[in-house]
Amino acid sequence: MNLHRKIEALGGAFIGALKSVRELARLWRGSLAGLVERDYPKGEIARQMYVVGNKSVLFISVTMGFLGMVMVMQSGQQLNRITGDLSQLGPEFLRLFIQEFAPTITALMLATRVGAGIAAEIGTMKVTEQIDALRLSGITPTSYLIAPRFFACVVMSLVLTIFAVVFSFSAGGLTAWSVFGLNPTLFFDASRVQVYDLTLGGCKALTYGMAIPVISGYCGLEARGGSEGVGTATTSAVIGSSFAVLLIDFLLSGIGFAFFGGGAR
Amino acid sequence: MSEPGRTAIDVHDVQLRLGHRQVLQGLHLKVAEGGRLGILGPAAGGKSVLLKLLVGLLQPDAGRVEIRGTDLSSGDEKVLMRVRRDIGMLFQNYALFDFMTVGENVAFPLARRGDVEADEIRDRVEARLRSVGLAGSAHKMPSELSGGMKKRVGIARATIARPALVLYDEPTAGLDPVTTQKMYDLLSADQEETGCTVLAVSSDVKALMGFASELALIHEGRIRYAGSSSEIADSSDALVRQFVSGSEDGPL
Repeated sequence: MNLHRKIEALGGAFIGALKSVRELARLWRGSLAGLVERDYPKGEIARQMYVVGNKSVLFISVTMGFLGMVMVMQSGQQLNRITGDLSQLGPEFLRLFIQEFAPTITALMLATRVGAGIAAEIGTMKVTEQIDALRLSGITPTSYLIAPRFFACVVMSLVLTIFAVVFSFSAGGLTAWSVFGLNPTLFFDASRVQVYDLTLGGCKALTYGMAIPVISGYCGLEARGGSEGVGTATTSAVIGSSFAVLLIDFLLSGIGFAFFGGGAR
Repeated sequence: MSEPGRTAIDVHDVQLRLGHRQVLQGLHLKVAEGGRLGILGPAAGGKSVLLKLLVGLLQPDAGRVEIRGTDLSSGDEKVLMRVRRDIGMLFQNYALFDFMTVGENVAFPLARRGDVEADEIRDRVEARLRSVGLAGSAHKMPSELSGGMKKRVGIARATIARPALVLYDEPTAGLDPVTTQKMYDLLSADQEETGCTVLAVSSDVKALMGFASELALIHEGRIRYAGSSSEIADSSDALVRQFVSGSEDGPL
């Protein structure tokens, strides 16, 4: 009997997961269709870009600046110990940040700040029947609410990633100069950056930008009950978006490595 | 606009399960165009769920829901959108859009139609707000209003487009007796002016008996009484009599 219940629960969870994936795909398609239909309030895209981009830029710049300093300090110490040659520190740091750390850390921070905000906003609208009122007025919530957030997240994820690269690289260069006495012209060398690095970093940023609003919007639309339901939706959005970012990172890095040899030269 | 003699709402043998709970169990209901039906019943008996079925926000597991001759059971979004254009609804929790002002909230159903001039929308919003006693509140945000005021804004929004069918979910919950009476007077005046079909859900027996000529009582997803409001107190069903009298003794 106990085994029977466990199998039933497992089957239920599996079916639930499949339904969630189907619903996420539907929201993603709906967001794209919503951008074509433009059935959202006037100026909403600009407002969402401000919320996602402008309000995150300080948070991301400071965090990435510190991350750049710590990374240069740690890797510089190790390079000093092993080879004593710091000439490749800056160029390799830049490649690593462009294709990996800048888009991924930026997306993880967006998942916590923006993802939580989207889920809380839409979740509150769901539990207070505002979503029902929208549907009654002939509006599809995906077009009206998620599409502008989707567009803003995709664009701003890329823009913030560029900011993240600039701030982390600058802070790293300053650290290399002040801690290791490394000549800035040696550190600030972008000659090793390849099209592959830019493409992979850009693809990651854009894909993360699509995943975060769709997952967070889905969690918001699934909110039930009252404030507790909104809290649960917010937590699920942060966990789901963060997990999706790491999964996408793994998949895209794997594809890059398998088909393009990781851009090594 | 409503067409007298035609059936506005036809709910036939509707069954609905939400989670592990059977909310509606073979529910039947008919309301003629221009009619005024009050739905009574103990809490969690399926009253609000019925309203959501009537606007296609929920789909029945079995049975049929027809609004003005259109079957909603297919769940086809295009059909639902067409039907919803003629429906206004006051939600239990008001459901005012918190990112819009009171005026924008009330104007919303008209603005969505796309065929009403901005000047006319502004005039009608002002007139509607005046009629619900909220003149000069158009610029306020919903968060600045009391519960009763939000309810009145909800009523204004539900009726501004002069829909053929208006659904009120607990229109007077939490209001004092004087405001409750004023609210029902307003709903009556509105209906007399537009000739729309009205379905109001409430737990306030006395006020609803004064407002609606026909009443239905829902308990555990089934209709226990459907008939004239003047005869409900003499129903043969002990549960109905107990609910109407408010007595502590009985099956409830």
